[in-house]
Formats: sequence, C-alpha cells, structure tokens
Amino acid sequence: MAKKSTSPKSAVSVSKSKGNPDTADASSVLRQPAELAFADEIDALIRAEKDPCPAGWRMSPRSVLTYIIGGKVGSRTILPKYVGNDRVVQIAISTLVTDRALLLIGEPGTAKSWLSEHLAAAINGDSTKVIQGTAGTTEEQIRYTWNYAMLIAHGPSQEALIKSPIYRAMEQGSLARFEEITRCASEVQDAMISLLSEKRLSIPELSTELPAAKGFSVIATANTRDRGVNDMSAALKRRFNIVVLPTPAKMETEIEIVTNRVKELSADLALQAELPSEDSIEQIVTIFRELREGQTLDGKNKVKTPSGVLSTAEAISLLTGSMALAGNFGDGSVSPGDLAAGLQGAIVRDEEKDKLVWAEYLKNVVKKRGSAWRPLYTACEDHNG
Amino acid sequence: MAKRKSTSPRSTAKTTNPNSASIEATRPTISRDRIHVFGVRHLSPMAARDLRDLLDEVQPTIVLIEGLHDATDLIRDIVRKETRPPIAILAYTESVPVRTLVYPLARYSPEYQAITWADDHDADVRFIDLPSHVFLALQPIRVPAIAPEEPATSEEHSTPADDDADTDETSDADSPAPFEHTKGVYERIAESAGESDYEAYWERRFEHLDNSGAYRTAAMAFGEQLRDLREDHPRENAENLIRESFMRRCIDEALAEGHQPEKVVVIVGAFHASVLGDEHPSMTDDELTSLPSLNAKRTLMPYSYFKLSSQSGYGAGNHAPAYYELLWDCLNSPSRVEADQKHRGVDDLAAGYLTRVVRELRKSGTHRSTAEVIEAVRLSRMLSSLKQGTAPVLEDLRDAAVAIIGQGDRGVLAEPMARVEVGTAIGTLPKGVSQTSIQDDFNQKIQSLNLEKYRSTVKQDLSLDLRENRRAKTEASAFLDLNRSTFLHRLALLNVPFATLQNTRQASATWGESWQLQWSPEAEIALVESVLMGETVEIAAAYQLQQGIENASTVAEAAALVKVASRCEMLPGMLSARGKLQELATQSAAVADTAGAAHELTTTIRFGDVRRLDTAPLLPLVEELFVQSVLGLIASSVCDTAAAQKLMTAMDQLNNIALEFDERVDEALWIDRLRELARRDDRNALLSGYACAILLERGQMDNDELSREVSRRLSPGIPADLGAGWFEGLSGRNRYALLARQSMWSQLAEYVSQLDEEQFRRSVVFLRRAFGGFSANEKRTIAENLGDHWGISAEEATDLMQSELSDDEQNALEELNEFDFDEF
Repeated sequence: MAKKSTSPKSAVSVSKSKGNPDTADASSVLRQPAELAFADEIDALIRAEKDPCPAGWRMSPRSVLTYIIGGKVGSRTILPKYVGNDRVVQIAISTLVTDRALLLIGEPGTAKSWLSEHLAAAINGDSTKVIQGTAGTTEEQIRYTWNYAMLIAHGPSQEALIKSPIYRAMEQGSLARFEEITRCASEVQDAMISLLSEKRLSIPELSTELPAAKGFSVIATANTRDRGVNDMSAALKRRFNIVVLPTPAKMETEIEIVTNRVKELSADLALQAELPSEDSIEQIVTIFRELREGQTLDGKNKVKTPSGVLSTAEAISLLTGSMALAGNFGDGSVSPGDLAAGLQGAIVRDEEKDKLVWAEYLKNVVKKRGSAWRPLYTACEDHNG
Repeated sequence: MAKRKSTSPRSTAKTTNPNSASIEATRPTISRDRIHVFGVRHLSPMAARDLRDLLDEVQPTIVLIEGLHDATDLIRDIVRKETRPPIAILAYTESVPVRTLVYPLARYSPEYQAITWADDHDADVRFIDLPSHVFLALQPIRVPAIAPEEPATSEEHSTPADDDADTDETSDADSPAPFEHTKGVYERIAESAGESDYEAYWERRFEHLDNSGAYRTAAMAFGEQLRDLREDHPRENAENLIRESFMRRCIDEALAEGHQPEKVVVIVGAFHASVLGDEHPSMTDDELTSLPSLNAKRTLMPYSYFKLSSQSGYGAGNHAPAYYELLWDCLNSPSRVEADQKHRGVDDLAAGYLTRVVRELRKSGTHRSTAEVIEAVRLSRMLSSLKQGTAPVLEDLRDAAVAIIGQGDRGVLAEPMARVEVGTAIGTLPKGVSQTSIQDDFNQKIQSLNLEKYRSTVKQDLSLDLRENRRAKTEASAFLDLNRSTFLHRLALLNVPFATLQNTRQASATWGESWQLQWSPEAEIALVESVLMGETVEIAAAYQLQQGIENASTVAEAAALVKVASRCEMLPGMLSARGKLQELATQSAAVADTAGAAHELTTTIRFGDVRRLDTAPLLPLVEELFVQSVLGLIASSVCDTAAAQKLMTAMDQLNNIALEFDERVDEALWIDRLRELARRDDRNALLSGYACAILLERGQMDNDELSREVSRRLSPGIPADLGAGWFEGLSGRNRYALLARQSMWSQLAEYVSQLDEEQFRRSVVFLRRAFGGFSANEKRTIAENLGDHWGISAEEATDLMQSELSDDEQNALEELNEFDFDEF
C-alpha cells in the first residue's frame, strides 16, 4: 500500500513527505539530489511512458536508459548524464531488472557514484537511501540499530528499531545505494551476503524477518586503485554483477564531460567568473590524459606518470577551482596563472618526485607545443619554480 | 591500360575454358520469374536452416549456387564421406602477381548445406558465378567490358585517385563474399539500428529469425535496401553487374536443359538476390567471350576455424565460427522439432555458450558456479530485450559473461571466450583431393628424400649429417641428408609448420642438424597457400626470400636472410640479401649491429663448406663490415653499462673474425684500435678493461704493461665505479691469465685498501659483480692470491674461506647490502 501511495507522486513530494527540513528550500542546498535537480526530466519521461515498468520501477528500463545517456521525449530534450560508454549503462540497467545487485568499480573519478545516484533517481525517484561506507561502518548500520532508550525502557519492539537505508529499501521495494563498499572491513561487507542471496533480513530480537518487497536491489560502488580499501570476499562478489566503469576512451568524450560539468557546477556554485575557454579546457584535458597514460597523445613521446590518479573529476574540480580563483581574486576571466595554480595542486602530490615529473613534462612536451601553449607554459614554470 | 589487359589474354580464354563458351546463340528464353531465389549471407547458420526447409518443401531438381562456375567439378569431392568442413575453394592465377579467390565453407554454410542436400536427394548442383579465369582477370580491371545498365561508368572512371586505391586493395587476395562492400555502408546501417557493430546488428536481425521463411524474406528485403545504399564504387559495381548477368545466363542454361522453373533453387548473396528475374538481360555469348581471362587454377583445400576468424589475407571470414556452429547445432536440436512452438532452437544458445565458457574457465583453474551461469543467461536476455531482440547476441553474451562470470574482468575470460567462439576445428579432405602443383612437388620431394614415414601426426626426430657420404654409390644418396636439410629449410622459410630445427648440443659442428618433424592439417593449409608464391617449393621459397629481402629494414634482418638463403641453397637470393645487407650497413652506424652481421656472415661462410654453395662473394662484405665496426668502436665506446654489454659481445665477434680470417681482414687495425681503447680514460671503463683482456689473451700485452695499466687504472683518487668497472671488464675474459698474475692482485688489494669508506662501499658493488661470474674454485684461487699478498699462507686462506661467518661479519655484510643503489 505504502508503495502505491508514493509512486505516482512527483519526486519533490517524496522527499518532502519524509519531513526533511533541509530539502524544503531548494535554493539554499549546496547540491540537490538528482531526483530534485532533474525532476522535470524524470516527470516528462514518466508521462511519456509506453513500455511496461518492472515491479517497483517508476519507468521502463528503456526510459531509464534515455534518462542516463540522454535523448528526446516528445519535444523535450533529456540531457545526457553519463557520456562515453552506453553499453556500460545498458548492462547496469539490465542487472537491476534481473533483481541482481549491481557493483560499479572503477578508478577514482570515473563517475561511479554519479551513475549510481542517477540510476536510483530514475528508477525510484529516490537516491537518498545511501550507506556511505568507511572503515568505521558497522554491521548494524547495514541492517538495523536500536533506539537504546526505548530498548531499555520497553524491550525490543518495532518502534525501538532504527532502520538502515537497506532495511527501508527492502520494505519499500526500492533501490539502496552502498557507496565505497570496499572501505568497510571485509567482515562488515559480508553482512550483505545472505541479505542479497535470500532477499530477507532476519530480526531475531523480534523473532520475525523482513522479506524484501519486489523491486529491491542494491547498487554498490567500489574503488580499485586507492589506499585503504579492503578486499571483497569471493562469496560477496558472486552476488553482484560487476561493471567496470572505464576512463573516457576518447579525448572528445572527456572534453565534453568536462565542459558540461564545469558549466553545471559554475551555475550551482554561482561562481563569479566566465567559463574557461574551449582551448584551455582542451589543454587541461590533454595534460591530464597524457600524464595519466604515460605518453603523448600522438604516442611519440613517453612521459613519466605522477603519483596522483588525475581523473576526469579532478580536471573538473581544477577548472572550477581556477574559476573561483579568477572570480574572487582575479579579473573574472580564467587566466593561465589560475590554471597553473590548479595544475600544480592536482599534479604535484608527492613533493619530490611529482615536481620532477611535472617539470620534465613541461620542458619536454608543453614547451615545444608552440605559441598557443606558451602562456600556460610560462605560468606553470613560475608555479613549479 | 584496361584495354590492353583485357585483350592480350583473350586468346587463352577460349583454349582453357571451352565448356562455358559453347552455348548456342539461339537460346530459348524461359521465364526466370518462377524460380526460387534464396539470398544468403555466407557462413550464416540461420540461412542454412531456412534454406534446408525451403529445399525440403520445393524438392528442386537442380540447385544453383553462387560460386566459381568452373569449380563445379569440385563438388563431387566436397560431398565425399571423408571430407569434413571447414574447407575452402581456392582459385589462383598462374602468373605473377598472383591473384586469389577463396570461398570458405563451414558446416553451417548455406552453400555447403545446399550441396549436401542435393547429394542426399540426387538433385543436380552447379556453381553459377563467373569462372575463375574470368573472375580473377576482372580483379584489377577498371573499365567493365560490358555494362549496359551502368550509364555513369565513364564519368566515374575519371577519378584516378580512386583507381589507385583499388589497385592496392586488389593486389592482395580479394574476397568474393557478397558482403565485401565498403565498410561505411554497414557501419551506418548498424549505427542507425543502435548497434555497436555490424555483426551484432546482423545476428540480432537475421540469425535469430527462427521460423520458416522469415530469414528468406528479411534477407531479400535487406539485399534490395543494400543496393540502394551502395556507394559509388565504379569497379565494384561493374564487377557485380557482370557477375549477375553471368548468373542469369547460367540459370537460363539450366532452364533450357529442361528443369522446371518451380524446381530450381538459386542460392546467391542477398545483394544479388533481387536482380535474377526477367527484367534484366542475361550475358550473351559475345559478351562472355569479350571478358578478359587469365590462366587460373583452382583446388579444394582444408581450412580452419582459426583462419576463418582471423580473416588474415582474405575478406571472407566469420569472427566467431565455433559460436556460429553452436547456433547451427541449436537450430537443429530435437527440441526445435518438438510440438512446443514457444521454444525455439535459438533460445538454447545463451545457455550453451555460457556453459561452455564456464567449463573452459574451470579447466584453467578458476571455479565459477552454475548459479552464475544462470544469472548470466538472465542478464544477457535482459540486455537483448533492451535492444528489442528475441534472444541474446554474442555481444550480449560476452558482456553478461564479463559482468558475472568474469566479475568485471574481461581479461580472465579472453581465452575461454576465444576457445568457445573461434574453436580449433580444422577441416580434412580425402587423400589426393587437394592437388596443387606445390603439393605435387612436395610429395615428390618427400618420396625422393625418403621422408615419407615422417609424414604422420606423431612427432619424430631426425638427425642429419650434412657431410658427403663417401661410401654411397650415387650422388643423390651421398648428399641425401644435405638435400633433406635444404628442403626442410625451404619449408621453414615458407612458414610451413612441418619441421622445426632443434638446437644442437655441439654448437661448433656445422655439419650436424637435428630436426623435429610432425605433419598436421595446418601444415597442409600453409603448403597449399604457398602455391600463391610459386609452383614448387623451391620457387615459392625463392619468392618468399625475395619478399623478405625487400622488406628487411635492419642490418641484423638482412644478415639473417643471408644465412637463410645459404641454408636453402639459393645463390641468387643470397647475393641479393648480401646487396641489401651492404646497403643497410652503409646507412647504419651501430657497431653492435654491423659486428653482429659480420659474425652472421662468417658462420654462413663456414657452413658453405658443407653446403656446396660458393660463399666467396660474402668475403669482401665481411671485410667491409669488419673495418666499419672496428673503426666505429672507439667512438661508440662512450656509453652506459647496458650498451657496453652489447659492445662487449660485438668485440668478441670481431675478435673471432680477426682470428679466423686473419688473412682477409685487417688484423693490425683491430689490435691498434684495441690498444687505443685500452689506453683511453674517457671511454666506458668496462670496455677499456675488456680491450685489455683481449690484448692480454692475444699476447699483445706483457706483464709490465699490464701492471702499469693496473696501477694507473686503480691509482688513488680514481672514482671507485671507474676503477672497479675497469676491473670488471678486465676479468671478463681469460681468467686463468689473471689468476696467474700475482702482482696484479697485490695492486688491486692496495687500491681497495686506500679507498675511503664511501668509495669502498661503491667499489664493493662493482667488484661483487665482477667476481659474480667466477666459479667457487676460481674465487678460492683469488683468496689465496690475496692471502699471499697479506702474508697468509694458501692453506690458511682456504680454511678461512670455508669457515662459517661470525655474527659480526654477517652484520657487516648485511650493512653492505643496504647500500643505496639509487645513485647509480
């Protein structure tokens, strides 16, 4: 019953009905969840729906695909949320239709959480049932905990039960998200094993169990290349369909992603600066790609790779960072100096080695690139000193 | 251009192919409209399935198939009991440049199924595409000999750039497949359907059309659509028009022989399917005789799924032959025949494929459960339904397998997937069916060289003694082993995997060779393909060698080819390789390369004695290379340790040449340069030391000189890496000479003792490496030498060496181990 009453409502009303005061005034929120930010797109897709929806879904798999990779609904354009590899998105959506749990893996900054949030937003209109995994995450936070005052006063009861996001998702038959699952201790991760295979959560204290409603599934994300991540047991891996998110394969794709995201972010953050020029975006993406891959784009020169990951996400934050610099302390247009400051911070992580790598790259590659690159080169040289 | 080509061979056309030209001009015209035309894609299981249904229904009296007209006589060999596909029909020209056509046939080829059906039902079968001598001759021709339907031809012909591009394409083997057109069209079609590639598009739209007649209708429509979409490609279009009008002519012939139109089934590529009706004219006798012609041969050859999938050389391929065979089996599984209409054969494919992948994966030691296969099947079905498919295509299956069975890692599954998709099937033909001239030559040679018994699938060893057998009565038997060796070397040059040369234990024995022989279907395939390079093993090998020489880009490659040529006893090839080597050597300045080449040549010259090959022409080149290397030595000795290792090898080689050919080469120059290098302080110390070692060995340096040099090199103030590096070079050769010189060890001991702490630690690194190659016995002698210097008797020193290390000593050694090597 509860499911029926929420599903036809718009995304806005869902979050409001939870009585969450923070989301009441959208403009004061730093970053809105996807279902609010793209509420009109989601509504348009639901209105135009023709194909059957799986149980617990607000739209058909095909519409979810349109929502993520962009397209048209009637006359309305749906913005692409994930650019580059449509096939990955197709596999992710199909996984969720088959009631399997989905695990998105990838290097830092390959839009894992971003994709997971938008999938949940499109499928359930609610991307907020999230467990944010850390080394301190306990098994209770995955299952349920107790309101100890009530537990002591009245003993175990439904009222004293504090439900985890996963618990709520099972009840409602919706998606739960588990961010950074590999940062939890392996033992804690394993709490998911029986939960995912039996689709029931037992509550021995109340001698009951909670069967998952149709439509329940989990989207987990995990890092492959980072410190402080734990292994995942084979048993748990077996319960996920694993999709590896690639770093953008093509230069153009990456430039497109960076340009779009910088535009969106600068609007969200009300940055008082002009958008960086196309040339400077291309230059930044070129530098990132070359240092990441250890060779120049034409494959003629080898370059050393710095210790950082240099993800697309970092390129985006670098550009918005330099916009903030330009807006607050400069003349409002992004200068090579602003970019150079950002590059220095993004590339030189481990003082000694990275500094050399960066200096070498500047001298051997950037310097020879001609006049278009000259201002950036000079600025970077100054910063790297 | 074109006209010249088409006129000159015309006379041969009539003589070589009388049957197709002997059709009376007054043909009765029976309407072709009621014949059954089935448009296929080659190597398409669903087409084969649907075609068999049609054949069963129509019960034709004759089956006409798109294939080389003059290869019709090969059909009786295709249907023989011992023939097992994959096989291929190969046609090739006898003249150079060799042009080829390959028609591969797998078990699931519609053409193959049609042939076997006709054989089972005693119907006639005939190939109706252009005969090979015409088709091959058409390959490079731009202006079509007849093309009434093509008004735009003359305009299009005036684009020379296009023509040039074509010449390049067709000079390697071209493909006769009906879908060989430019990729652009196909990619566009797939893209507009939302598929990532054409294969996925085709499989989803056509291979899964599992009910009778659906494929035929769809392929016919697709073929027509393709004709609209085709690009302006004058040569290709013209070629198609000629082929189609010949096909119509063949159909007319069949009808004229009395076959009822309703009882004729024609199997052609979908592209041609729509133009075989009455609205287009058939080729006339005049037109036929005006077509160009080349002398051509054709044969059946065994084929392999690997070749089908790799498409190397030929365009007619199939990226996943074993997978398509699996589909064919699914389509013919008994469950399809059952009354249950909902269950289609193609539905079994996903489970079949994924189960096989998991089984292959388990064989390699990674366990995955059946539950995961089930999940993968579910995911693949979901993926396919997102694309509105009825069953998963290979792409869906692969992605599902990676997400679940591979746990996100494509690498683990690469091999299992390749095994299931490509497979290892190799076709067989009955003995004697595949007969190209090179096979005849091969068989003859095998017999005359008495190698018949090695032609088995069991691996056998063969040792050869290349020297003349003086007790033998005939020349043939006197040189039997030598001839065998030459023959096997030629086969190796042709990449026929029949015999592999084993490393002999006696490296110095130039007259002994040890081979391992094993016959395999791959060897047969490679042999048949070699016919494209020449009629006999010798001619083909010579051609291959010449190709190699033309493509050689480094001195080492060219030198290796000289050796190959001499082993194959090909004097012209050897001379031309020598020319190439010289040409490359003048461009290359790397001493290591030229010395290596000179060394390679000297081994060839040594071989020459047994090989009945005059290697004298090589001697001047050896001299030249020797001088070039020796002169370059000093200059290139400014280098790091890694490069120095190569130069040390080069110095060894040069020294050997100087010793062996002392009459030919300028030995004095060599000694002079060695002295110079030994004396110089600004070259790599390792090489200077090594030069000393060579001089010492050759008796060009006496004790005084050595001791002067040692004290100079190891004098106080010389950095440890230089001093010890030099010593490492010195100890690189002829250790006994060193061990016997007590004075030198005293000097070394003194040098080490005057080093400060930091310098000492550095020197330890180099000395350790220098002594690393010494045997335990040699090390003991060194210890004794040093003991002698320190006033300890030899016995005491030996005792000390053999006693256990004390803790303090152990610690001291470990401290040394912690030395930071980063600075080097």
